[in-house]
Amino acid sequence: MKRAAWLVLLAASAPAAGAPPLEVRIRELIDYYAHPKRGDFGYATIAARLKLGEDPEWCSRRLVELLRPPLTGDMFWQFPVTAVAYLDRGQLSPEARSALREAWRTYMPFRGDTENHWLLYYTSMYLMAQLWPNEPGETWFTGKSSEENQREAAAWIDSWIRLTTSRGQGEYDCTHYIGVYLLPMSYLAAWARDPVMKQRAAMMIEYLLADYAAENLDGIYVGSHARTDDTMVLEKWRSVAGDFGYLLFGLGPKPEPMAGYALYYALASACQPPEILQRIATDRSRPYTHYERKRTRNRWRFHDERHGPVYKTTYVRREYAVSSDQGGILQPIQQHSWDVTWAVDDPRGVHNTFFTVHPYSSLYELQTYFTFGPDFGVEEVVRSKRTYDSPDKLLGGSPYEKIFQDQDTVIVLYSIPPGTRFPHINGFISKDLNEFVEDSSGWIFLRGGQALIAARPLQPYSFKPIQGGGRRLFSPYLNNGIVVQVAAASEFADLAAFRRTILELPLEFRLEPRPAVRFRSLRGRTLEFTYGEAPRVDGRPLDYAAWPLFGGPFLEAEVDSQQLLMKYGSMRRRLDFRNNTVLSQDGP
Amino acid sequence: MKPDCYSGTKMPALVLLLALAAPLPAQYRLYACMRVQKNWVAGAPLPTSGLFVRPALGDWEHLGFNHPLVVAVDFEPRDPGTLYLAAGNGLIQASDAGRRWRILTGHEFTELRDVSVDPNSPGTVYFAHTAGIGVTRDGGRTFENLAPMPRRPYAEAVRVDRTHAGRLVCGGESGLFTSEDGGRTWRLAGAAGFQIMRIEQSPHDPGHWLAATQQGGLFVSTDGAATFENSGNVGVGRNLYDIAFDPAQPGRIAVAGWGPGVLVSQDGGKSWRPRNQGLPGAEIWSVAFDPERPGRLLAGVHEEALFVSEDAGRSWRRYGLEGSVVYRMKFVPEAAR
Repeated sequence: MKRAAWLVLLAASAPAAGAPPLEVRIRELIDYYAHPKRGDFGYATIAARLKLGEDPEWCSRRLVELLRPPLTGDMFWQFPVTAVAYLDRGQLSPEARSALREAWRTYMPFRGDTENHWLLYYTSMYLMAQLWPNEPGETWFTGKSSEENQREAAAWIDSWIRLTTSRGQGEYDCTHYIGVYLLPMSYLAAWARDPVMKQRAAMMIEYLLADYAAENLDGIYVGSHARTDDTMVLEKWRSVAGDFGYLLFGLGPKPEPMAGYALYYALASACQPPEILQRIATDRSRPYTHYERKRTRNRWRFHDERHGPVYKTTYVRREYAVSSDQGGILQPIQQHSWDVTWAVDDPRGVHNTFFTVHPYSSLYELQTYFTFGPDFGVEEVVRSKRTYDSPDKLLGGSPYEKIFQDQDTVIVLYSIPPGTRFPHINGFISKDLNEFVEDSSGWIFLRGGQALIAARPLQPYSFKPIQGGGRRLFSPYLNNGIVVQVAAASEFADLAAFRRTILELPLEFRLEPRPAVRFRSLRGRTLEFTYGEAPRVDGRPLDYAAWPLFGGPFLEAEVDSQQLLMKYGSMRRRLDFRNNTVLSQDGP
Repeated sequence: MKPDCYSGTKMPALVLLLALAAPLPAQYRLYACMRVQKNWVAGAPLPTSGLFVRPALGDWEHLGFNHPLVVAVDFEPRDPGTLYLAAGNGLIQASDAGRRWRILTGHEFTELRDVSVDPNSPGTVYFAHTAGIGVTRDGGRTFENLAPMPRRPYAEAVRVDRTHAGRLVCGGESGLFTSEDGGRTWRLAGAAGFQIMRIEQSPHDPGHWLAATQQGGLFVSTDGAATFENSGNVGVGRNLYDIAFDPAQPGRIAVAGWGPGVLVSQDGGKSWRPRNQGLPGAEIWSVAFDPERPGRLLAGVHEEALFVSEDAGRSWRRYGLEGSVVYRMKFVPEAAR
């Protein structure tokens, strides 16, 4: 009986149909960069060719050219040249090797001001100091000896691993930066000589992949993100997370091209994720709710604690996913707090998502997280993040947005103080919806793929066109909100039947003095949420204090545990960073 | 044989005349911390930025590494060729008059905002950073983070009282704080609730201090930084970024801000006049008086250039560092004379 159940599970969680085996996917990726059809033949091509043992003379010549001053790129320069240095393996010319060495003396990369910057910087420092040991400070841009550089780097990397496995990442669940975290761990797992560093890095790869695996839908990193961008927040598959989903788990269509992060990851530790991760990443046969606790980015000002907690809820099933944080400003500029993502057969070019935001921008937000002076901060950000200070933006958190999710029901409330720069909320209405009905009851009914979405804006709204397709729901009221209930199309005969059921669900709300909602969800729970207060489920307040680092059918971790338990069927795999061990039980 | 023109009885007088006509050797070098930042973000190409020097008889020279966040500079009084830089990558010791760099701090400190060498305590350097005030008391071998200022640790400005070792005045997000014991304990001195942008001590009267704030205007202390009071309406509602006392003329002070531009007082801060005529804008990051040339004032105009005035701000001309944001300037005595 148990064996039969196990076979069913295996069949249910098979990798995406059509994807070639992992070794082929990796080989195709390396080949793509080794022999680009166009482009500038940069470090990626050198690294890929060195990996394949091809044309070392060209690699040497090109490397010398690229390393001619002035160099740029900071930590994004450090990680490609670190890969080149480790993939050399006797292939590069003495001149090329000398140019590489000299660059680490004459070019000072900026260490940066984000978690991903620092991980790239210190991983590169660690490995290059390891490669060139016993060299004095005069030979390094830091002015520190090889041993000093490596010791400092190791200490920070270790502190990052401890913090991440205790309180979560600050730049958590990023559609793009996931690659920037996997890549350094891949380097260290492959190239660190210290067996402890090597082991911890290999474990961190699993840790980061497990985080992603439990929250992906056909390769799409769903739900709330510490950071995403204006494109990826709409076309959710087109991201570095999508690249890794395809590369490591065979999920989604083949991205062409894949970002360089996937390449550099593959050039170092192109290891097969353990079977249990493959199962977690691909089995959507049963709906589940997954919980995570993360932390805010470093809050330099205006807060008593440097890192505040982030409480994430993600509901996933084959047809769709719903995910959210608690709202508020948890990250500057690129935060994405909640959405519904529905599955589609081919996600390329598809905006398979629905969400609302309060378009918030402020010096307060920037000064919380950066050292910006008061006059120029917003303008400086807008130079590189063009929508940051725009009223029609669809990206970013707001201190005036509070979110509560229970399974596939979301209640989002807004209380925007008078005088706030953009006193309205924006909702994203995709061009790729299959059905869209504005009901006289005040509900809006939508169907995207096989997901049925009922959305009840609490204030009047209008629609404005969005360049690139779709519409923006625009609701210019200070006290506002939206109630969202999602269901699978398979649960109802059609959208009309879904409508009838939703209209029978008791919904009460008020907007003054603060927005408050009481709603009987489709799943039979009474949800109460008042802006600024703890939500209640069937009369009981949500216990944020008990929120786990990871919780759900696939992952378990307690806050401050430095452990992660992966679960699938009878398979178990425990990562224990306190003693750097992996305990695995691979089923019956 | 034709006599050498320098020979003969008239030579001593001629040499004397030539010597008098020639410029005197410079006593100070002007250092500038700047960035050319249009569209720069971490990872993007960075136009030459960081630490620049301009000798009295020469043009600007870039020193050390290209770095986007060198925001403050101070020097070791016993060896003015050794500078300390508050930088994004940490506290940097720039020896050989700024040419040879070593990052002194490790991962514990990031995005430094200010630096101040204690002239009465050899090897002691304080620096303001995102999580408080750091110090080395042994020339950069070891570091400690001082007790945080009350309320919140973020620090933007730090100055050591040049007349008392270990006497500190610091500013963060919620006012001005003083310490009499090298940063072990702190006491609120004023500007409560205001973000502090800069603190300076008068070179003429050690009891006279000024502090520039975000939105709160200029705060003044005449009791040795024990208490600071608002000095009036100067810069209130705007943001002031820098303060310069004229070392050559007591009573002359300049402040810089966005909106007010350059303001100059001739009476020790009792009254102020705008000195923006001839500047391309009133978005000013930094000001400095030349200690060797009375009335010579410099001002860093946002993404325009550094400007110089020979008449205390009544007229201006460009002075290099085109397109820059000049965060800070410092006149440093020549290392060897």
